[in-house]
Amino acid sequence: MVQESRIRVLIAKPGLDGHERGAHVVAYGLRDEGFEVIYTGLRQTPEQIVSAAVQEDVDVVGLSILSGAHLSLTRKVMEGLKAKGANDILVTVGGIIPEEDREALERMGVGGVFTSGSKIKDIAAHIRTRLGEMCPHEEENRGLFTEGTQATAGTGHEGQ
Amino acid sequence: MEERMETLIREMKNGDQRSLARLISCVEDRQAGWKDVMKSIYPGIGKACVLGITGSPGAGKSTLAGEIARRFLDRGLSLGIIAVDPSSPYSGGALLGDRLRMRDISTNPGVFIRSMATRGALGGLCQAARDVMRIMDAAGKDVVLIETVGVGQDEIEVVSASDYVVLVTFPGQGDGIQAIKAGVMEIADLFVVNKCDRDGADVMASEISAMLELSSEAGQERPPVMMTSAFTQEGIDDLCGVLSEFINQKKARGKPQRDHVRNEVLGLLEREMVGMLRERIMENGKLESALDAILEGKGDPYSAAEELMARVHLVRSRPGERKEDTRG
Amino acid sequence: MKDSRKGIEKAAEKWEAEILKPRVKRFNLDRSPTSFHTPLSCDTTHFLDKVGFPGQFPFTAGNNPFDFWKAHAKTAALFGFRPDWGGAGGVGKYGGFGTPADYRDYLLRMQSMGRKGGPNIAFDLVTQCGYDSDSPYAEGEVGRVGVAVSSLRDFSIIYEAYTGELDIDKVPSNFTINAPAAVIIAMYACLAGKRGIPLTKLRGTPQNDILKEFIARGTHIFPPRPSMRLFRDTCVFCRSHMPSLNINSIGGYHIREAGATRTQDLAFSMANGIAYVEAGLEGGLAVDEFAPAFTFNAFGGSMEIYHEIAFQRAARRMWAHIIRDRFGAKDPRSMTIRQPITAHIGCSSTTLQRPLNNLARAVIGGMGAGMSGGIPGAFPPFDEPLGLGHSQEAVQLQLDATRIMIYEAKVADVCDPWAGSYFMESLTDETEEQALAELEKIGNMGGAVAAIENGYMPRAVAKSAYERQKKIESQEEFVVGVNCFVDAHEIDVSINRGVEATYDPELKRTAEERQKASLAELKRARNGKGVVASLKNLKDQARDQDKNLMPAICECVESDATLQEICDVLREVFGEAQPVKL
Repeated sequence: MVQESRIRVLIAKPGLDGHERGAHVVAYGLRDEGFEVIYTGLRQTPEQIVSAAVQEDVDVVGLSILSGAHLSLTRKVMEGLKAKGANDILVTVGGIIPEEDREALERMGVGGVFTSGSKIKDIAAHIRTRLGEMCPHEEENRGLFTEGTQATAGTGHEGQ
Repeated sequence: MEERMETLIREMKNGDQRSLARLISCVEDRQAGWKDVMKSIYPGIGKACVLGITGSPGAGKSTLAGEIARRFLDRGLSLGIIAVDPSSPYSGGALLGDRLRMRDISTNPGVFIRSMATRGALGGLCQAARDVMRIMDAAGKDVVLIETVGVGQDEIEVVSASDYVVLVTFPGQGDGIQAIKAGVMEIADLFVVNKCDRDGADVMASEISAMLELSSEAGQERPPVMMTSAFTQEGIDDLCGVLSEFINQKKARGKPQRDHVRNEVLGLLEREMVGMLRERIMENGKLESALDAILEGKGDPYSAAEELMARVHLVRSRPGERKEDTRG
Repeated sequence: MKDSRKGIEKAAEKWEAEILKPRVKRFNLDRSPTSFHTPLSCDTTHFLDKVGFPGQFPFTAGNNPFDFWKAHAKTAALFGFRPDWGGAGGVGKYGGFGTPADYRDYLLRMQSMGRKGGPNIAFDLVTQCGYDSDSPYAEGEVGRVGVAVSSLRDFSIIYEAYTGELDIDKVPSNFTINAPAAVIIAMYACLAGKRGIPLTKLRGTPQNDILKEFIARGTHIFPPRPSMRLFRDTCVFCRSHMPSLNINSIGGYHIREAGATRTQDLAFSMANGIAYVEAGLEGGLAVDEFAPAFTFNAFGGSMEIYHEIAFQRAARRMWAHIIRDRFGAKDPRSMTIRQPITAHIGCSSTTLQRPLNNLARAVIGGMGAGMSGGIPGAFPPFDEPLGLGHSQEAVQLQLDATRIMIYEAKVADVCDPWAGSYFMESLTDETEEQALAELEKIGNMGGAVAAIENGYMPRAVAKSAYERQKKIESQEEFVVGVNCFVDAHEIDVSINRGVEATYDPELKRTAEERQKASLAELKRARNGKGVVASLKNLKDQARDQDKNLMPAICECVESDATLQEICDVLREVFGEAQPVKL
């Protein structure tokens, strides 16, 4: 039978921040890039996000945070994923992220920070590239890699 | 079977969610070895009761599924939930959002929620969904809820593969019961008028009852019509009562029916054959040259299909067997 | 000689054929990249009906011939008056952080520096979502985007900064809170009670605009219908007891920021406004008894200055007609859109790239405001998108830009300078027509509440946000420094940013612990029986849709029940809002 595989992404809004514009735009955009996007809606606890990421067997978790609570919330999600043995999932963070926090996020293991002005195409390309690096042997299993978009310079991001 | 799969199956049976999730992906993606997984778990399945929930968009299916799940969890049952949403015909991607209506239960260890896109390639959704149900069954779930929008033929087939089908409607849905798609009505074992706190729910329920009265034959048991509201919580306990009763009956009944098995074997066979045919027809640009001819005005689709059929010798052994067929 | 319509039509045809088309052809274009408007574009003969005089129906030309600030503009310049940005009508700068004591101390420090506006309180997300600082949902969020308020005691601590000449009968207060607005209004009333100040003296504005939270901002708690019941109760309570307090501040700004198109923004805000009026009527009030106490919140927001001017004009005309024709209002004060900030560019127009450009952008917004009946304010400060707080430099530049528009460019010396422009009148008509069509669509669904329940409004906004994103990515629309003019030889101009040492980061970091401890102490010390009794009474009253909940909420607040305890009781009766599926 014909194999069909899709990159699966969980777009999640942890914490109480209710600004969904960025999350919505990225969710629509990645769907149109051929990804299967699971959107959690507002006010997700880190536990809910981790549990969704595991059950949905996603390749990527994209956290959208505009409240300034990105460091503590991201840390909790990373720890939760690790506890479930799911720290191979690529985690990206989008929103209002001051430049000086980027490094702290990357140290936690975040594999992409996208702030205001990022393009969906760049985010998608970044995800494809990172997934390709993380598990090259699975590359042929992912139909999408044949499209072979390379990440271009610049960071993606989301509007507020 | 690959050792990795064996490990995953073992871990899944021990209750590991990650392994269950991985196996679902393997089967849903038709990854190499997926059939081995299915063959391996098949002998142990049939314990779970599969409830299908369908209805038009906006009927409140996800919320209702969440409410039902919460009550079953309270009774100590474990659940698998499959929420099916359509893939985009343009990009092949999908936006899967039903999960967000079930957040109350999403971290409960007794429940496993999985969103599934229709993907839509070659009408294989039904089988893929059935396979996912079986994996959840094999993982030891007592009940599997599968939720789809009852609009496409594919989705209808998906729920019809379940043991019991609940059709959810709501007052104010377009043209009332006329809006319920033909074909969905027939497979429903139970009708729910949801959002019954709104005006028009009584009328809707009585319209459905009247229609069932007219379309059923004397002596035949008519599916019940129930009213629920997630907002007021009205009727949901009663609905769960009916469902529980069915679940208990099913436990006593057991074995699959011959017709169902026949359909499934034929279905698998058809998909296998279509896949093979397509591959053969694409070989050496046969299809493309036939298309060229039609576009140049030198042929027609009917003759082209006939000629392609004639040029394909199904019995000839193929130069390279597919990976998945050489394993196991 | 007077032109005839026929004559203009003929001349227009001739111009197109002889001037326009050859030029379009010469540059190899499909069509002209500009437009030109003539008396044919619109009907300017109905001046009284469609424009009218400033301060008169239909208020197209403005709410007033001139506003308060304009009357005092010269004095302000002579004496070097420096307003607290973000506040209007006597309130200070919008802000809040940490524990109530942290914020109180900050406010006292500001007052010692001469900033004596009334409190303009930003609440943390925990409070906005109806939780207490000790809730599991509060973790990491206490005192972060605003001050934490869990109880009347917390509320009173903030107000320890407002006594004597700044007591609450002398300065107004703004509360940026929506879902639990009823609780905060109750706290305000109880505070006045404790201080022996008559409620009639209280002034200010609670945001109290729950509907736009479902469309845009996401700090809802209860489903739309019970939320509207709470609105009704606050509306009736405010009018009967606190007549000088505004009832709400209706969004528009937030809806646009979330991605709405101009038409959606206008139509959705009007639909929400209509729902609020209906709620007031349902509460037994006559429209003129409460509509004058409605305010609007910086309606609009985009870089397209002509469109934003037309938008303000169309919005004023639409609201005036809705209030008069649909609801039969007689009082002109019911019919005006009162808003402290009018046209502006919106924070979503600012860019993280080459941020100083945002100053130029903000000036465009200010020009739009000055030319459509508002203060020509350059909003927001250029460093808004950096997410690090506004620097002193950015605020200074913003303030000076505003002053330059007022005093040097004299932008606001003419009322509705665009009145009678063929182009602007036709654009205003078009804006209004499109919004009316969208409003009708919502009306057919059953109004704003129904269009939220069925997901229409939030989904439409999300889709528009995505459409806009696609246009930017495909370079159908240009944003300077973002998707064009980004070559290496462009210079990224930067200046020093000295962020005012406003909020002590150390205090912010420890706020959660300290606030939790203080809450625990309150819970130990209060009279538990009184709390339980008041909450039980609230629950009983909440079950009866006809009851006004404000007295019961005041009773809870007074007995030291916490904000979350009150909201939890209501959650139990009302249920919680469901997320919208995209």
